[in-house]
Amino acid sequence: MQAQSFGRSRPAQASGPGRSGNLERSAWLFTRISAVVLLVMAVFHLLYMHIALGMDAISFQLIAWRWQFPGWRLFDLVLLVFGWLHGANGMRIVIDDYVHSPVGRIVARTLLFAVTATLIVLGAFVILTFKSA
Amino acid sequence: MAAVATIFRAVTYRGREGQIAWMLHRVTGVGVFLFLALHITNIFLMSFPSDVFNSVLIFYHSVLFKLVSIFGLYLGVLYHALNGIRVMIVDFWPGAGKYQAPLWRIQLVIFVLVFVPSATVMLVRMF
Repeated sequence: MQAQSFGRSRPAQASGPGRSGNLERSAWLFTRISAVVLLVMAVFHLLYMHIALGMDAISFQLIAWRWQFPGWRLFDLVLLVFGWLHGANGMRIVIDDYVHSPVGRIVARTLLFAVTATLIVLGAFVILTFKSA
Repeated sequence: MAAVATIFRAVTYRGREGQIAWMLHRVTGVGVFLFLALHITNIFLMSFPSDVFNSVLIFYHSVLFKLVSIFGLYLGVLYHALNGIRVMIVDFWPGAGKYQAPLWRIQLVIFVLVFVPSATVMLVRMF
């Protein structure tokens, strides 16, 4: 009876003529794929910065040293994009849950989109254009 | 406000493991998201001369912020990560849904086993 419905949080695949995909299902899948990426990268980032280096060691000079290595820049860029998009997609669902008026939704979604575009551009800009001495 | 009504219902609704797990997942998710906005804005300051970034770090090196980063950020990320693993297990293996409540308790045990020693190391390194 009830057991049938357990764990079926996956949005159904859109089907029928002309429907190659379903945005909601793609978002669901992206959340899980990025979750697995972040499970490794975000946890590593946190432990590396907080335990291996220690918070007091963090400075302009330390970040500049890290960004001498293209590998670290790539790591930070991937973390930025996956981390923020995972969070933004979650916030989209939170907004849908609590904001019911059509105007409120337009305002909240527009704001979320604007913040997302701004932060990814700013973050990618500094990671890619920083000049190592 | 829909949000206030939701919080009121969440506190008064006597849900069990599943509801508490979901609520904590949402609260930690929104919390980490807000931190991330601050974090990306902060790292953008690397575009300016070094004293700009370093002067902002005084805030990050304060005792209050370090405590928040351990008992807010790190605790939130760890809960969200472990709970996310449980959600994915149940999503991709629906049979596990029957055991979601015991899975959540196992998850809490793992949380304590990971958080207590690592947070202790962070605290020791901090002072």
